[in-house]
Amino acid sequence: MIQFLMKKKQIFLFIISFIFSFNSIFSQTENTESDSLIKKDKSFNINKLRFGIDLSNPMISSSNDNLSYEIVGDLQITNDLYLAAEYGSIDRYIEDENINFNSVGNYLKIGFDFNMFNNWVGMDNSIYVGLRYASSNFSNKVDSYAVRSGEAYFSNLVDNGYENVTHNNLNGNWVEIVTGVKVETFKNIYLGISLRLNKLLSDTKPSNFDNLFIPGFNKVTDDNTWGSGFNYTLTYSIPFKKRK
Amino acid sequence: MINKHHNFLFLLLIVFLGCEKDDICIEGSENTSRITIGFIDYETKGVKDISLNSIRGIGLDSIIEIKSEGNLKLPLKANSNKTKYLLEYNETFDTLVISHHTFHKYLNRSCGYIANFIVKSDTEISKNSGWIKEVSIENDSIFNEEKTNILIHY
Repeated sequence: MIQFLMKKKQIFLFIISFIFSFNSIFSQTENTESDSLIKKDKSFNINKLRFGIDLSNPMISSSNDNLSYEIVGDLQITNDLYLAAEYGSIDRYIEDENINFNSVGNYLKIGFDFNMFNNWVGMDNSIYVGLRYASSNFSNKVDSYAVRSGEAYFSNLVDNGYENVTHNNLNGNWVEIVTGVKVETFKNIYLGISLRLNKLLSDTKPSNFDNLFIPGFNKVTDDNTWGSGFNYTLTYSIPFKKRK
Repeated sequence: MINKHHNFLFLLLIVFLGCEKDDICIEGSENTSRITIGFIDYETKGVKDISLNSIRGIGLDSIIEIKSEGNLKLPLKANSNKTKYLLEYNETFDTLVISHHTFHKYLNRSCGYIANFIVKSDTEISKNSGWIKEVSIENDSIFNEEKTNILIHY
């Protein structure tokens, strides 16, 4: 388990270091090539409100599931700092190794993004890192499972009457470390992708079961509080000021 | 330039999601216990080894391999409250009907659930004309395979 944690940590550091190095490399070249950068302004600068949807959710969910979606939004408060939030509703049937279950719930993630990309005049792209605090209310309904046994003489599939119950009123809280990019594809329309490393802080344990999946957090592994996620977003920006 | 980043991050995404831990149920983890059946002489009530001809679960075609002439360990149905076995001895078939409470206990993601059983008192032989004279319950709870759960008198 420690090895695994180390692995995730390393992966994350790897991503961060790459993004930082790329950013610094490119920003250097920009500085030499262009002398008409927008003046850096650290002061309060509520410039635009962006909102949109995650495109990966409908792609992942199967046809049997009910609609799952994630709404995303961010508000620019200084040149580089954005308040950011995601709200999602998930209904997903999960076929795990031994247990098939249905996870239904919604989540809210609130935090900020910090842009590290220096744009040329007229461009509005971003490479950012961010943090979120997230909370999810959900239920997991055990549909069927195979009872572990030494010899498979009888069928061990249980699909009715035993632990095939709905575990209701579950809650999970976690923090996310976010890295991502947003690219202005058309005027005021952005495509974005973000990777998330999640650290579970607390969750209510169901009786005689465990939270194998938390909507928003995704897969929870045995003896491990780390998880991962991503989204692929299409957002529209409402500009408050006319762009120069 | 931005596209370069985009592709790069997408690549990272694939690497990132590929690094999930495999959950493998460790051998030696708790497992569903079988029922332990002892054989005693009907008259003397002393332990008496037996060499059964065959054992087969009712409704199934495959027979269970007989490994010893002493205690017999048989799996119980984890998704039922009744397990029936056809026991053949001296070309006579007797049906052993084991009634049991079945409980499922969650271990973890990789191992899932195991079953524990409690043998109920209506465990019986469905016909009395065969070689089995009587069945008695010794230890009704099956949480491990250490104790003999039921005795077959013959």
